Amino acid sequence: MKNHKLFSLVAVVVIFAPVRVIAADVKVIANGSMKADMISANEVKSVFLEESNSLSDGTHVEPVLEKDGPVHEAFLHEYLAAGTNDDLQSYYRALVFSGRGSMPKQLGSDAEVVAYVARTKGAIGYVSAETGVEDVKTLTILREGNGAQRRLVTRVEPDYPDTLKRLNIGGTVRLQVSIGPKGNVDTVEVLGGNPILGESAAAAVKQWVYTASRSRTIAELSIPFDSHH
Amino acid sequence: MHKRVRSLVSLYLCFQAAQITLKAQEFKLLDRTVQVHGFVSQGFVYSNDNNWLTMNTSQGSGAFTDFALNMSSQVTEKLRVGAQGYDRNLGQLGQYHPSLDWAVADYRFKSWFGIRGGKVKTTFGLYNDTQDEDFLRTFALLPQSVYPTDLRDATIAHLGADIYGKISLTHRLGVLSYTAYAGHRSDSIYSGYPYYLSSFGAEIKSFGGLQYGGDLRWNTPVKGLQIGVSRLNEHITGKGSAINPFAPGAGLVPYSESSKADWTNQFYGEYTVGKFRIDSEYRRYWRNQELFSGTSESFADIRGWYVSGAYRICKRLQIGSYYSRYTISNIVAGALSAFYPPATNTNLPANHDYDKVITGRVDLNRFWNLKVEGHFMNGYGSGPYPNGFYTQVNPSGFAPNTNALVLKTSLNF
Repeated sequence: MKNHKLFSLVAVVVIFAPVRVIAADVKVIANGSMKADMISANEVKSVFLEESNSLSDGTHVEPVLEKDGPVHEAFLHEYLAAGTNDDLQSYYRALVFSGRGSMPKQLGSDAEVVAYVARTKGAIGYVSAETGVEDVKTLTILREGNGAQRRLVTRVEPDYPDTLKRLNIGGTVRLQVSIGPKGNVDTVEVLGGNPILGESAAAAVKQWVYTASRSRTIAELSIPFDSHH
Repeated sequence: MHKRVRSLVSLYLCFQAAQITLKAQEFKLLDRTVQVHGFVSQGFVYSNDNNWLTMNTSQGSGAFTDFALNMSSQVTEKLRVGAQGYDRNLGQLGQYHPSLDWAVADYRFKSWFGIRGGKVKTTFGLYNDTQDEDFLRTFALLPQSVYPTDLRDATIAHLGADIYGKISLTHRLGVLSYTAYAGHRSDSIYSGYPYYLSSFGAEIKSFGGLQYGGDLRWNTPVKGLQIGVSRLNEHITGKGSAINPFAPGAGLVPYSESSKADWTNQFYGEYTVGKFRIDSEYRRYWRNQELFSGTSESFADIRGWYVSGAYRICKRLQIGSYYSRYTISNIVAGALSAFYPPATNTNLPANHDYDKVITGRVDLNRFWNLKVEGHFMNGYGSGPYPNGFYTQVNPSGFAPNTNALVLKTSLNF
């Protein structure tokens, strides 16, 4: 009976798994000393393009990239809109040779990135959503809208069903949230990711409270579920 | 033939070896990481008829070399320092006299406000501050109507300070980047304009002065589209000696020229979609100068624009093309007007240079590329402000058309 239930659960997961998984393949990680649990996608872009070396809360950050490979390509596509890796390298070289910036740290694998981020204060990187990330913080990414200007006051962590965790089924769930003027999350829509995890994330995010604002905010969130954590 | 193949293989192996040794790009100094980067490029130009860019190109010339080495370090969370040395030889220009290309201390308070001071590369148009970095672009030579390589010193850097920043606009209207600067420009006596003046018997000892201006660019909400505008004002003085134009046999007399009005406006846009990129820029340079201590005055209106397109066929191969159009109109007033009749008809080859260009670029690896480029030029826009064609290397006069083949390779680390 237990096996039957497990089989049904796995079947549901497989059937409803999103076909286009590029967006869910990457998670953004940071050194454990970082205060923020959540940053905006614009901040990620700004930090990795060396337009900024601190977050909106003043925390100093240092980007670390992967040299190449599918995770790097997915990150470029999703966060930097920088075209190809060659375009990105040219961008960095333009900074280096005109005295406007430095070549960021570039490492060869997820494991190297995790190890570097874990030991380097302020480091921020990205790895495959499937990679185990001990000793680092996985950041929630606020994707679009003007939500970055609204600070999260109350955060409730989503439930991660044991069965899925045991089966190493994780990844990133994308949500669209509507935050009312008083800071309550009024509506949540699951945009992508595993549907069961999506439901869990939506239930948690509905309990989040942001700072008040004069108008309603529509924003996108990426909630990571790390089966190795 | 075997010898040639052996030479090519040796050259390739040398470059590979150089890359292996140059991969160590960081070291620690006082517990801070110092990055070291550099580049070297070598070109060869062959042209029919006119000699171009002060090289003896009609015979084929490889006097087209430049290289740079820089070091930089993030000293504190907000302060970064660095410097770059640069050297080049372009025909009669540069002549391997090294220069400090940039040396800056950059303090970024916030993403929307930072200050950098020292010798700073001037932000102007799409490519002014990166014009030496051959490996960043498809083309071997940038459009000479807007980025004349022989006049690189005129705009490349200033000794002074910039304020800069980026501002994200609300309502998803994109990002605005601004730079404002003021400083001192100092041209090498081995640069294009002093060389040009030497054709009149002038020997320039110093050339430079105050520059101030700004740049504003907008990364629009349309993905891949950026537009911008730059402005530069100058008060330039040149001093030296020259043959007295009224008594050529009387020997040298003191020469001076200084700006009465000197400004440049540039408007630009670029659009990138997938593997395709299109750029366009327009530059107008207005130059009103007093010559020979105010006894004469020169008014030059120099205008250039280009449209370029580049496409990456695959990871290793890019192709590109541009059309570049340059015109110069000049009037001399005062005592020297007898020697220089008004030159305002930009349809004449002497007052324009229209250049059609096609290029292929091959990336042998991430650090090393080869380019092949064809230039098909009409006109030679030779004065009173130079634009690639000089009488000293064309003593029998100019042909109206010039075709040139440019081969270039560059290596960076």
